[in-house]
Amino acid sequence: MKTKYFWVLAISLVLVMGFVFFINRGGTETVATGNAIIASNSAEINIDKLEIYHFHGTHQCYSCITVGDYAEETVNTYFADELKSGKIVFGHINGELPENKDLVIKYGVTSASLWLGTYTRDGQFSAEQNTNVWYKISNKEEYMTYLKGVIEQKLAGN
Amino acid sequence: MSLLAFMEAMGTSNIPLIAAFFIGLMTAISPCPLATNITAIAYASKRIDNSKHTICVGFLYTLGRMFTYVLIASLIVWVGVNTQIVALFLQNYGEKILGPLLIIMGILMLDLIKFNFPQTNNNLSTLKEKLANKGFIGAFLLGVIFALAFCPFSAVLFFGMLIPLAIQAGDSFGIPAVFAFATGLPVILFSFILVKSINKLGAIMNKIQTFELWMRKIIAVIFILVGIYYVVVTII
Repeated sequence: MKTKYFWVLAISLVLVMGFVFFINRGGTETVATGNAIIASNSAEINIDKLEIYHFHGTHQCYSCITVGDYAEETVNTYFADELKSGKIVFGHINGELPENKDLVIKYGVTSASLWLGTYTRDGQFSAEQNTNVWYKISNKEEYMTYLKGVIEQKLAGN
Repeated sequence: MSLLAFMEAMGTSNIPLIAAFFIGLMTAISPCPLATNITAIAYASKRIDNSKHTICVGFLYTLGRMFTYVLIASLIVWVGVNTQIVALFLQNYGEKILGPLLIIMGILMLDLIKFNFPQTNNNLSTLKEKLANKGFIGAFLLGVIFALAFCPFSAVLFFGMLIPLAIQAGDSFGIPAVFAFATGLPVILFSFILVKSINKLGAIMNKIQTFELWMRKIIAVIFILVGIYYVVVTII
């Protein structure tokens, strides 16, 4: 009797999984990028300012702290001139504090995250969350090289 | 290629279901879901004499997780509820509720407090009782509740990676369902291995009943310890 229940359950699960795959056949060509929350402009644009914000809560996890620390180090190491001139702004933002509420809403923050906000000379703003950095926290050099490339692309208007 | 590089390649795959599966695996091994999964493994392994029962409980726990993730994704993708509101609400309250709840469940399992439930004789309550005795209802509910607890990192994986994937593909069922299956997969595998190992050890020593008795106490203690972990995480 128990064997019967087991096989009924196993077959049901296989059928459910089969159904899931079937209804998703059409969606397999959709490109799932790790960092495209809001599409950024691909045309060459004159960038006025780039905001790089590490959003976090009051209670931070180890990975959350690391993502923020490495991002700060990347900006300080490779973009010191841009930081000084104000072309790049970097900040650790505690999303739970009332004074940061507007920024959290503006960026559409849902959890601890690293965001790049681009302001163009014609006054347009676009924000993009980078989720790929979470996969690189075990290798600081790789993280910094990767983020440096992302920031350079943003500054170039790509 | 390192493990994380492999997970990144798979988690950002062009095929949403593959990406969802690997984001789910990442979630399963991240701190908070890992703690809930250990609790679930203990729960699924309480009938050490029956490995099929363990697999059924593991599957039902995974179905419970699936229910919650599909529900949240549906609210966002189809109903149009603001992701930010759902995400921040669950991160604020999920963990806070889960800790005390696990401690209470652990204490009840240890039989430190006795409850007398009203007796009814209809068929439905008999069926409910049978299912409860097998731990099936409990496993499903455990999955539903555990999936609601979002820690910072698991929130990143779910709200930062999976939900955008579901929105992009316009799929509020398949993608979260596959994600949920991956988050529950270690529970099914490990509890099965655990039961098989203990069963063999018990058979060698002819002490399966003793093992089972201890197993129940160990499960209760695991519930309490994981509950304390959640309480501490929300305080520090």
